[in-house]
Amino acid sequence: MKPVAVTGLGVVSPFGAGVKAYWEGLSGGVCAIRPLTLIDTEGFRCRIGAEVPDSIGGSTRRSRADRFALAAAREALDDAGIGRADRADTALIVGAVGGGMLEAEAWYWQRARGVTAPPPRVLASCFPSSHVDVVGSALGLGGPRETVVTACSSGAASLAMAADLIADGVVSIALAGGVDALTRICFMGFNTLKLLDPEPCRPFDRDRRGMSIGEGAAFVVLEAVEHARARDARVYAELTGYGMSTDAFHVTSPHPEGEGMVRAIRAALAQAGVSPADVGYANAHGTATPQNDRIEARALREVFGEGGLLVSSTKSMIGHTMAAAGTLEAVATVLALGHDVIPPTARLDATDPDIPFDCVPRVARELAVEHAISNSFGFGGQNVTLVFRRSG
Amino acid sequence: MNRRRVVVTGVGVVDGHASGVLSRLLDETEARRLSRVCQMTVAAGRLALADADLVGGPGLALVVGTEFGDMVSTIRFVDDYLQRGIPGLSALLFPHTVMNTMAATTAIAVTARDLSLTLNAPLVAGELAIARAAAAVRAGRIDACLAGGADEPPRTVVDIYREAGASDVRGEGAGFVVLESLDGARARGARILGEIVGEAWRALAVRPHGVGRGTRSKTIAAALAGADAGPGDVGVVYTSANGDSVREEWERTLLERALAPHRPPQRSLSLTAGRHSGLAARSIATAAAEADGGLALVHAVARGGNQVAIVVAGAGALAA
Repeated sequence: MKPVAVTGLGVVSPFGAGVKAYWEGLSGGVCAIRPLTLIDTEGFRCRIGAEVPDSIGGSTRRSRADRFALAAAREALDDAGIGRADRADTALIVGAVGGGMLEAEAWYWQRARGVTAPPPRVLASCFPSSHVDVVGSALGLGGPRETVVTACSSGAASLAMAADLIADGVVSIALAGGVDALTRICFMGFNTLKLLDPEPCRPFDRDRRGMSIGEGAAFVVLEAVEHARARDARVYAELTGYGMSTDAFHVTSPHPEGEGMVRAIRAALAQAGVSPADVGYANAHGTATPQNDRIEARALREVFGEGGLLVSSTKSMIGHTMAAAGTLEAVATVLALGHDVIPPTARLDATDPDIPFDCVPRVARELAVEHAISNSFGFGGQNVTLVFRRSG
Repeated sequence: MNRRRVVVTGVGVVDGHASGVLSRLLDETEARRLSRVCQMTVAAGRLALADADLVGGPGLALVVGTEFGDMVSTIRFVDDYLQRGIPGLSALLFPHTVMNTMAATTAIAVTARDLSLTLNAPLVAGELAIARAAAAVRAGRIDACLAGGADEPPRTVVDIYREAGASDVRGEGAGFVVLESLDGARARGARILGEIVGEAWRALAVRPHGVGRGTRSKTIAAALAGADAGPGDVGVVYTSANGDSVREEWERTLLERALAPHRPPQRSLSLTAGRHSGLAARSIATAAAEADGGLALVHAVARGGNQVAIVVAGAGALAA
């Protein structure tokens, strides 16, 4: 793949609005997982998650998820210095799952209890595709618009799809990202699957008991390298390759040998033209479910061998932000390359012996890395791996 | 850049025009455990692959467009909770609340192990999926792909749309085309139904859910340029007309301006079985059959401004 420059970043996370707050939280190893306030958790085994603070702002005529998306997208475009003229041909690819479901649920719950309220305006925004329309319209983006749903790897898939549009010469600039707000359906569903830890999650720990859910949004501006160079743009890193594969095995469980994950990682490395030994850091999918972490470690060991690679999970601090996770973790990877700092796996006390990697327990590590990968896996066996190279 | 030619080698559609096929195409477990929209998607995928005489494996990709996903199961998941509380929640239903559930179940059923994407968009999702898949085959990123869409509009949502004044005709169904590189199809001796010679998708400047006043669009011009063709080469247009008169008028104006001074006939398949995301596959196959020797344009534009144009040639043009 022809490398693509990352020239802008935007984030709304459980640490608040902005890339700065996000990186301070991650590099500080701060855990933002707390008792949930947005939805009624009475009676459920797990009652915690990572909520975005109330200070994000934006019109309440828009859904919470649309507001997250708009704030993060605007920050990324401004950060990259993409002006109005360039925006007219800029592509917009958004990974999403819940759409404006939080507001739709509230209305539907009331209706089921006999309160005959008319559907609110935001009900029209309940589908994931709402975000591209809201963000595209508000920010004047006139290139291709797509909403991709690959479950928990959606945010990573959006970057891969955007890179394709640049590689094919369709556009020179693409805004790609992922967004999800907490929803009752998501909270109840993962509780029902018994995949949630009642305490903040502990990826890779031998005593891990499941994931924590979260919410947020992140966007990156991807740009043809020569275009970025011509306008003298700051380049955070380069996206040099991606791999996408499907397990075709089970709707919720990954292939037990990590076969699909291995194919995605290998395809990404091949596209980037780097060998496993060149990669210094993997931002793992790292959900903290016993099964996922074990299988992901098996896949990483298959490709990279034991040791060597540093592996950490952003979800230990902000929970699993669903469709936003792939992009939030891509941003974490890019920032790690730029700052020469590997974010830690918070709350990791004793690494599972089945996970033969240094998982950067609790405290960030200062280390300059040339190449890093970010893994994202979703329901349906949808595997995405992104490869980034440090700038300059 | 060395770009490949993209051909259509199979088509499979399950909707009101193809009733009675579900039981024949699903095994007992699928018939018992899969939701209706997943059943239709699996069946349409199998029909298309059988039509193409192709089997799944690591080289088969899947791109599914959908407007509603499995919203019927989502509503059922919620209703079960509202009626019975926490004990009513179903671990089996929950995965269906994520829109990629049709892709997930179909990938398993037909062993599609290359990339799998679900694209969500109102109205244009099927066309978008086919255009995205065609671009991926053309660029050499994938070799073969099931591309199309599926929808089962939930009654609750349709009622809300109706109360808000919507007049569009919606249906349920699933449909796929099989796309391959011309070289790959020829190498395995596949029958070729037609060729996708150009595709483009862009956004028009419109408010969310709105219809635009502007009539200039880069999408059709980009698709024609990709096909190395001009407006005069288009012999017929398959539109997304589905009873939304305001949006249809906008689409008509966009097409007239983009193809002027030519005015090829415009047709829509949406009005007979109702519009669903799988219908795009039938539009592509029908356009290829009708365009034999010439070109057809499959076009869709949604409220909110998402626009897709796909230029299709008949199989007869491949001899040239």
